[in-house]
Amino acid sequence: MKMKVVPKILKNMVSKPITTRFPHESNPIPDGYRGEHSYDVDKCISCNLCAKICPNKAIDMVEAPEKYKEKYPKKYPRVDIGKCCFCALCEDICPTGAIKLTKNFFLSTFNSSDVIKDPIPAKEVEDRG
Amino acid sequence: MQGTMEKIDDDTYELFFGPAHPGSGNFSVKLKVDGERIVSARADPGYLHRGFEKLMEYRLPLQNAVLSDRICVLESLAWNLVHAEAVDELMGVEVPERAKYIRVIMAELSRIQSHLIWYGIISIGTGFDTGFKLAFGYRDFILDLFELITGGRVYPAGYICPGGVRRDLPESAEEKILNVLDKIGKMIDFERAENPANLARLKDVGILNLKDAIRLGATGPVLRASGLKTDVRKEEPYEVYDRFDFEIPVRKEGDAYARFQIGLEEMEQSVGIIKQALKDLPDGDFIAKEFSKPKLNMKIPEGEAYIRNEIGRGEAGVYMVSDGGIKPYRVKIRGPSFLHIIPVLEFLLRDAQIADVPAIYWSLNGCPADIDR
Amino acid sequence: MVESVREKEIIENITKNFKVDVGIQRERRIWVKSPSEDLIDLCMFVKNKLGFKHLSALSVTDWPKKGEYELTYHIWSYDDKILITIKTMVDRENPEIETVSKIWGESSQIHEREMHELFGVKFKGNPDLSPLFLEDWDGPAPFRKDFDWREYVRNEYYSKDNDRESAYFGRD
Repeated sequence: MKMKVVPKILKNMVSKPITTRFPHESNPIPDGYRGEHSYDVDKCISCNLCAKICPNKAIDMVEAPEKYKEKYPKKYPRVDIGKCCFCALCEDICPTGAIKLTKNFFLSTFNSSDVIKDPIPAKEVEDRG
Repeated sequence: MQGTMEKIDDDTYELFFGPAHPGSGNFSVKLKVDGERIVSARADPGYLHRGFEKLMEYRLPLQNAVLSDRICVLESLAWNLVHAEAVDELMGVEVPERAKYIRVIMAELSRIQSHLIWYGIISIGTGFDTGFKLAFGYRDFILDLFELITGGRVYPAGYICPGGVRRDLPESAEEKILNVLDKIGKMIDFERAENPANLARLKDVGILNLKDAIRLGATGPVLRASGLKTDVRKEEPYEVYDRFDFEIPVRKEGDAYARFQIGLEEMEQSVGIIKQALKDLPDGDFIAKEFSKPKLNMKIPEGEAYIRNEIGRGEAGVYMVSDGGIKPYRVKIRGPSFLHIIPVLEFLLRDAQIADVPAIYWSLNGCPADIDR
Repeated sequence: MVESVREKEIIENITKNFKVDVGIQRERRIWVKSPSEDLIDLCMFVKNKLGFKHLSALSVTDWPKKGEYELTYHIWSYDDKILITIKTMVDRENPEIETVSKIWGESSQIHEREMHELFGVKFKGNPDLSPLFLEDWDGPAPFRKDFDWREYVRNEYYSKDNDRESAYFGRD
């Protein structure tokens, strides 16, 4: 088969490019994408299942900060996103739906402490305290 | 080709192919060359050894399903399937019909995208850049499907898990898959057009005859290109492959061009299989009842199973032994590339020309990740 | 379970010539348990007389309680479309066995090379048993059950003082 080059070039000159110019526009992310975790401490029952099923041991059960000890006396999951493989097993096993994976994939950072997600975020602690 | 040259004696030099060569992956071949001729070749794997076989002994089958993605990154869903089948057989799980169809669809989509990479890598290795860019562009459409169905573009995170699949197909999936298959069809037409660049670089290069192929342990496309009509999907039908009508492409020449053509023909067959599977896709559960919620204390009954599957690169196998605990006692993973790019490659490179190394290497479609595991 | 005629024929053929345990596991799967002395004869017979030409995989299972390694050879027949699994036991402390690389050629040679590295099984007569994956490793064979790599990694690479690594200590 001979490749008809000239008509193809002309067609490609007028047609839209196949790529998207990423920071300015982005392909839609489908529902069910496995991205950053969202965690609701009020739904959590501290059953420890997510920490047990996590293949990479990215989830560690920690106590709440001093100010919140009264309201949240048990241990809650702290997610280390640097270790996470985004398998969503924690979401599947969670009996109350407290931990969920969101569509957010903008996770790169220059600060290594940013990858650790505390059950009650440090920022929130500062704001309220 | 990059690397250092070391003089051995007056006539022979040692030359490295890889491990940092674009496309060779984490793998290198030490070539002893006399002028342009290769006297002997020695494969040097181990840049990516992660000890998955041992690691799986420490983890639950559910976690191992996630791990099985990483055996070969380019064909994660196919490896998911082999692992899941081994656990299914040991546990005696009745996989729902719908799950079986979804598994077939995903495994075939995975085969198409793996063959597109193969086409792209061969093209760039033999100096045909357009083919590389087109193939990777079209592969992206399939990755979009994976993102929609499994939630991840490259790593499906054990989408095909013991008992079925982790999620049902979304409503829009069927239409989108058919849409992508049409696009892939166009790509295949483009690929099948006789291309002088490929012909010149691949024809009569790296000829492997049938007797050698069997002795060296070649399977899959490499063996079929040498003239043996064999395919695990036909010989030992797993899942629902016996219900579909498809051909096994065979060539007699055994050279790099024949292997390359087999890959292209298989893509056409895979498109056919997916269309048939989508047509007959039954309703019902997508995962067996006992697996619908992850459990931490499921015992694997004592026993052993050896599962063979046909993946894009050849024959994949998982041998799993259980002593009745919740974790597998021993898992052996048999990857096709282990034989293709150690004994077969060493054999084919002997007495070849340096310029033919990329053509031979990429015509075998090796994945260093599944040698090293 | 469907038992085809050919599988029974193969079993009869083997039991006629060797004193071994044989059985059908399921469709297309036969297993044979052989003492390690008979292994080479059995493999020759299986390949040359019964047409099992493709050594699909070679695996070793470590049974520390019995003090034995179990070697399993998975061999596929392209003509009969049957997989035969030959099992044999060798002593765990001094694992030695004849090579099958004369029978199945390079494909079995490379499988044996891998098993030698990971389990330390010596295949007598195999021309090349140099390491494939692990560079400069002189510890015990890494896939043995009594080698706890987690302990090894913790001791060698992780520190309790590092907050992110300390999570690996004290958990299985």
